[in-house]
Amino acid sequence: MTRKFFFFSEMGYNAYPLEALEQYGYSALLFPNSIFDAEKARDLWQMFLREHEYASEMGFDGSVCNEHHNNVLSMQESVNISAAVISQRIKGTIALIGNPLPIHDNPVRVAEEIAMLDLISGGRIISGFVRGTGVEQLSTNANPAYNRERFEEAFALIKKAWTVPGPFRWEGKHYHLRVVNPWQLPLQKPHPPIWAAGILSPETIRWAAKQRITYLVLGSALDATAQCRDIYHEVAREDGWTPASEHLGYLIHTCVMDTDEEAYEMGRHHYGGASVIGRSGGVAASALSTGTGSAGATGGGPHPEWMAPPGYMSKQAKTGNMARERRMSEGSYDGAIRGGLIVTGSPETIIQKFKHIIDRTDPGYLTFWAREGKKPHNATMRGIELLGKEVIPDLREHQSALVTGKEITPWPQ
Amino acid sequence: MAAMTDAAGITIELRRGGRGTPLLVIHGELGVPGWLESFAQLAEHYDVIVPSLPGYGRSTRPDWIMGVHDLAAWVTWFARDLDLRMPVNLIGCSLGGWVAAEIATVAPQFFNKMVLVGAMGIKPERGEIFDYFLEGGSAGLRRAFRRPEQSSEFMRYWGKEWTSEETDLVEQHREMTCRVAWKPYMHSLTLRHLLPGVATPTLLVWGREDAITPLECGEMYQRAIPRSRLGIIENCGHMPEMEQPAEFARLVEDFLLG
Repeated sequence: MTRKFFFFSEMGYNAYPLEALEQYGYSALLFPNSIFDAEKARDLWQMFLREHEYASEMGFDGSVCNEHHNNVLSMQESVNISAAVISQRIKGTIALIGNPLPIHDNPVRVAEEIAMLDLISGGRIISGFVRGTGVEQLSTNANPAYNRERFEEAFALIKKAWTVPGPFRWEGKHYHLRVVNPWQLPLQKPHPPIWAAGILSPETIRWAAKQRITYLVLGSALDATAQCRDIYHEVAREDGWTPASEHLGYLIHTCVMDTDEEAYEMGRHHYGGASVIGRSGGVAASALSTGTGSAGATGGGPHPEWMAPPGYMSKQAKTGNMARERRMSEGSYDGAIRGGLIVTGSPETIIQKFKHIIDRTDPGYLTFWAREGKKPHNATMRGIELLGKEVIPDLREHQSALVTGKEITPWPQ
Repeated sequence: MAAMTDAAGITIELRRGGRGTPLLVIHGELGVPGWLESFAQLAEHYDVIVPSLPGYGRSTRPDWIMGVHDLAAWVTWFARDLDLRMPVNLIGCSLGGWVAAEIATVAPQFFNKMVLVGAMGIKPERGEIFDYFLEGGSAGLRRAFRRPEQSSEFMRYWGKEWTSEETDLVEQHREMTCRVAWKPYMHSLTLRHLLPGVATPTLLVWGREDAITPLECGEMYQRAIPRSRLGIIENCGHMPEMEQPAEFARLVEDFLLG
């Protein structure tokens, strides 16, 4: 398939006062919603939706939306509502990354909503499923100890609801339904493409490979992403099949501006504050925490314990190579750039960087996380324009060295 | 003192010592870290039997155990497998107190006398049961003691820097507690309605400064269980069996002898 290029934004509530992060030491779960300003949020929604629309106008193949709860990081408490609105503003694909299945007590509702989305959008939906972060489990009171069991059972139920004619009955371990018979079914057959998205759990990568569905790496460092791909391919090899590019997606913080210097400075909005990278409660930091329960220096993000409530994450995921590498990279903005967590540069520089990334990982779906934090709207729009007009057309032509066997494009100095 | 043994369908870690009539101890959500001073004192007059519940310590975890009722049923099975002569005396601490109370509501013939210590299981009317899962494992353990640094038992088991195995064990206990007591958190909606039917002579023991299960819960248990008595230990948090072992053992012995 031809590589697809998507636009992503958490659409986070960036109107928070920085001093509030300092005061509380976190920006999720217990961060008081008295700080929330509805009028500012109304304006932010219009700005974010315009950015999605503009990405579509500039030639992106689609937009990606997400879901988080009780979190400044994202205003999308329902990925399906985001997708519904975005589908009416853009021409291309809408990828949901996705519905956090374990937090739902009735997964058939998710199957119904995705079917609606697929019908309304005319078959432009990619349905990503996630386990949700630890904060999602705490916000919705979903038992973290059964997170993976619930994820896998809900997935099986949704897939069956889409592919096996109803009515049927479901008596599982976590879900019990007298009648499964959703009236509306997706337009795409047998169902919309399904993705699994994750950060650090090798178990989820293996599971995705077993299901032969696309695994989307969420904003991880380059080396870790290459490892994810290796794990996926290893499982596929054991099962006797060869994954294609489309089995890997890569979501990556990207800041392109007219010059390298400008992009480097603007890229700081992707680091610290309530952002995913460089906060005290960053995923890897929390995963490696031994439970002292203290918030760290940068103040943002969730409390470390909230990201890994009991039973949510295996020891391997907490302490494995991928977690360690990410933690090493997260220590500073420059470290995050060196590790490939954030990619910045002029169009020329960024093209070379992404050729290197494509050469090493060959993602069928490359998603630019191109709006983050308090980055100004005009800078975001300029970045979208440069990506759409200059970067994406060049990258479309580039074949991965993993496919051609050619030399890996060097990382620009 | 700790041995592995097969009982009630799984392999369990069992601590047992002393001579006399059996005294079964059901530990709480923080597990049982060793042969406690209070156990040693009680073992002078009783055969003290302390299993690690399924999923705690080195006991295996059957996936079917998903609630406190399951644990309660398992404890009765375990007691039969050990050939304990019924009725037995029992101490239930915190989550283990909830387990014991559930057994008492359905199987009065099981217990001779019952001691519930800082027991979970009923929802306080004014305060709240501390939520362990918004904090790390270390924070929860410290909160269970009024003054952790002044407790020889706290310092012995948890006061030093934890090894990787010790950290894993704390997380394992937290996970098992999630599996059985996540929602409604640490209480049952039916238990308090059934407590007036409990026929077992019951002593409730609470630390005055219990910051996990408020003293109010002890008072509610006392009002609900006929002829029960509430013994309050001063200068003590959620784990009197560790923080005030001598006073705790004295209260228990007086009750069992009385």
